[in-house]
Amino acid sequence: MSGVGRVLGTEHSSTREFRVVLAEDEYLQLDDLVVVRTEVPKQGEVRTYGIVTEVEATFEGATFESDTMRIAELGILPGHKVRSAQVAVTRVDPELWVSVDPGEVVERAEGEERMKALYADEMGRPLPVGMGRDGKPVYVDLDFFDGRKGGHMSISGISGVATKTSFALFFLRLLSARPDILGEGAANLRILVFNVKGEDLLWLDKPNNQFDEEAREVWDELGVEPGPFPSVGFWAPPKPQSGDVVLPDTGGRQDGVTAFAWTPREFVDEGLLRFLFTDSSDTRNQIPFVEERVRSQLKRFAVDVAGEPGAIVLRDPVEGHRPGDTVVPNRGERVIRDLPSLVTELEGFIDPEDDEPDQRWTGRVQAGTISAFVRRLHAASHRLGHLVRAGESRRIDRQAAQVSVVAIQTLHDLGQRFVVGALLAETFAEKETTGQRLPLSVIVLDELNKYAPREGQSPLKEMLIDIAQRGRSLGVLLVGAQQTASRVAQEVMENAAIKVAGRLDAAEAERSEYGWMLPSTRARARLLKPGTMVISQPALPVPLVTQFPFPPWATRKEEVAEAGDPFAGL
Amino acid sequence: MADRLHVEGWAPDYGSPLETDEDFTPPPGSVIDDAEVAGPWHPIDGHDDGVEVVVFVDGVRRVDAYLTVDRELGPVPGLCGSLAVGAVRWDRRVPRSTVTDVEVQRLAVFTNGLATDVPIAGPQLAYTTHAVHDPDPAVLIRHFHEQMRRAEARLAERLAAEGLFVVADGPINDLSATEKVGYIKTHRVTYLPAERAGIIARLGPGQRSPLFTIGQATSQFPKYSWYVRLAVLPNGHSWTGIVRCEASTKLGVAKAAVLANRTAALLPLVASEAHVDPRAPQNLVPISALEKEMRRYMGDPKFIHRALQAAVARSGALV
Repeated sequence: MSGVGRVLGTEHSSTREFRVVLAEDEYLQLDDLVVVRTEVPKQGEVRTYGIVTEVEATFEGATFESDTMRIAELGILPGHKVRSAQVAVTRVDPELWVSVDPGEVVERAEGEERMKALYADEMGRPLPVGMGRDGKPVYVDLDFFDGRKGGHMSISGISGVATKTSFALFFLRLLSARPDILGEGAANLRILVFNVKGEDLLWLDKPNNQFDEEAREVWDELGVEPGPFPSVGFWAPPKPQSGDVVLPDTGGRQDGVTAFAWTPREFVDEGLLRFLFTDSSDTRNQIPFVEERVRSQLKRFAVDVAGEPGAIVLRDPVEGHRPGDTVVPNRGERVIRDLPSLVTELEGFIDPEDDEPDQRWTGRVQAGTISAFVRRLHAASHRLGHLVRAGESRRIDRQAAQVSVVAIQTLHDLGQRFVVGALLAETFAEKETTGQRLPLSVIVLDELNKYAPREGQSPLKEMLIDIAQRGRSLGVLLVGAQQTASRVAQEVMENAAIKVAGRLDAAEAERSEYGWMLPSTRARARLLKPGTMVISQPALPVPLVTQFPFPPWATRKEEVAEAGDPFAGL
Repeated sequence: MADRLHVEGWAPDYGSPLETDEDFTPPPGSVIDDAEVAGPWHPIDGHDDGVEVVVFVDGVRRVDAYLTVDRELGPVPGLCGSLAVGAVRWDRRVPRSTVTDVEVQRLAVFTNGLATDVPIAGPQLAYTTHAVHDPDPAVLIRHFHEQMRRAEARLAERLAAEGLFVVADGPINDLSATEKVGYIKTHRVTYLPAERAGIIARLGPGQRSPLFTIGQATSQFPKYSWYVRLAVLPNGHSWTGIVRCEASTKLGVAKAAVLANRTAALLPLVASEAHVDPRAPQNLVPISALEKEMRRYMGDPKFIHRALQAAVARSGALV
């Protein structure tokens, strides 16, 4: 008998699954791909492809548990070891949905058969995204990532061991390094990555001294010359209370990192005020109403200050200034150069000490709402005041490099949400204006549950839902990562065409968010090793398990291989 | 010893290990009890001489369908039956037991000397017709059973001729001097004279009685026989856990004693346990597994019954 075994005849095979009894000298392991040829009356040969979802063994002839001893230890009971494998059908070719015949030979799907089992032959643009258990590449159809047929990627898994960010970067490296597969989207592809924890992503442009030959072989197999990201820009918020010297607020790395901030003028023009109110509890009262009003009033009132780029004064439009005007501040007039001064100035309108609030700014809301609004303004000013400062524009130039890493790990939650919101809005607005899918803009965001939580409302969540729903056609692609998919807004999860999971918490794996996994894969999800991911994509009815190689770029300062480092590669 | 009442451990469906059957009743004077030990009898300890492979041979049979030939003179009964014989090789070196040499036969038997072909009912369902001349329907089963016994004996002899040590289910009925032991698990009769019968109660597990000879003068196939205790069962009587073995007298006393010692040492190792087998301990583990396996080889009885009905109906089956 050629092949690895035969289709089991004691139970029904179906169009969904069947079992294989293995030959004595063969084996199948989980995720192996197999093919069975079935002769169908009137139709001829139908090839059924499948993936191994479970492997089992038993003693045939043993009735009682103690028979195991009689068979294996005492040897007095004849018993036959039978090993079998459960196979989930992935494809039939030609598409004639019949079950495989019992007793048919089951073969490993290799070469072209393997590609067929993985639907790689039907993928528009198959990008290898790591190695299957058989040591050969598995593919993701980019048509379902870059917006042609689907978009976005969602990565779930336990922090630390699920290697979510590593996988995202690995994927992006492949994406940027294989223009031959990505096609026209490769030109001017821009990637925005938020570094939310540690400084793992601040070394993407440095080679990794732990990178070894074994990993190199895998990268070679994937068709990518292993190396750090060639074009990376690093951005970090300025150090708070650093005075006039603007230094990026990072620990391990200073060189090559640019400090970013928004001028009061940019803050007003882009309506960034709304991203100061991103806590989901903010929407329970009328604060959004006040915020909206203040935001539009700010736009009307803000006037540039002559000789001070980015700074503004607030003047009533009835005084007759026009957009683009610059004025010399009056005596005693407050020049707004940062967030605290803006807050103080706003307070004069909406919550004056010994006067009624100006209803043009507040509308008819309760006094309590106004104080709540002001309280939040003060909190924001305290926590992220240093992100707004007058002077030359320090905004993040996403065009400067292919990958822009924005390091927001030092910021308070409120500040992180502000930066993410501001940058997403900027990116999305840009694309909305052009209405074009190209060039592609990829956004990598970890801890997505913080920005688009399942419960509650916030402008940031709305924005992410908007991106999830419409970003696909606008070429704004979200690579979101989270510990628990069940905590992320449903609309965001549902719109991710490609779903990836690393090691999952056992309870989490049982949730319906992971319904795309096979039961056997779910059961294994809590055992997945770092570097092993389960990928689901619309083109394939079953999820694939893939292992991705060690990165050639450094992920810690200690891993950075300095030029001429004699120990590099050891 | 006062008489005591006991409940047999075997499931009632299988009868009792103590059953009488006239076939096995030794004719008076056919037992010679001094074949090995002339004086007073004492239990003899078994001895494992390290035999590497022990082969167990058994057969099973099953009536697949009862037949009737509708003749003007009156109906002629017949039957279709399947029988299987096979062996388990217990390789003590590994140790591992393997079922081997399974052979299935399909027989059709008719009374009144009628030899009607039964239509072939499917792959591996061709029945060979035997005619028995007796008009009594009971003879059908007897003939069928006899065929199984013969097939068993042939297989046992073939394996023993290869130099293997064979334990065959049932009595020995030939004269070859091979290492072949008959294994009888039910006791229809006490072969021992009253003054010797006390040995049974004194046998411990792994011990045997001295050899005695059966049918030296009266049978075509005289043989040595001995009792072995497989196990002591709680609440058992003196005959529970006892089996009787046979070997050809052609072996000679010395050789037969070696085989007897071997059985006393080895058979308790393969005796079944009460919670596993309804005929414990006499139904040996390899033999019961072999029977199960052979029944599988015979095929599904309901399927065969329907296939026969269909085949006969199709052929019109005019005799």
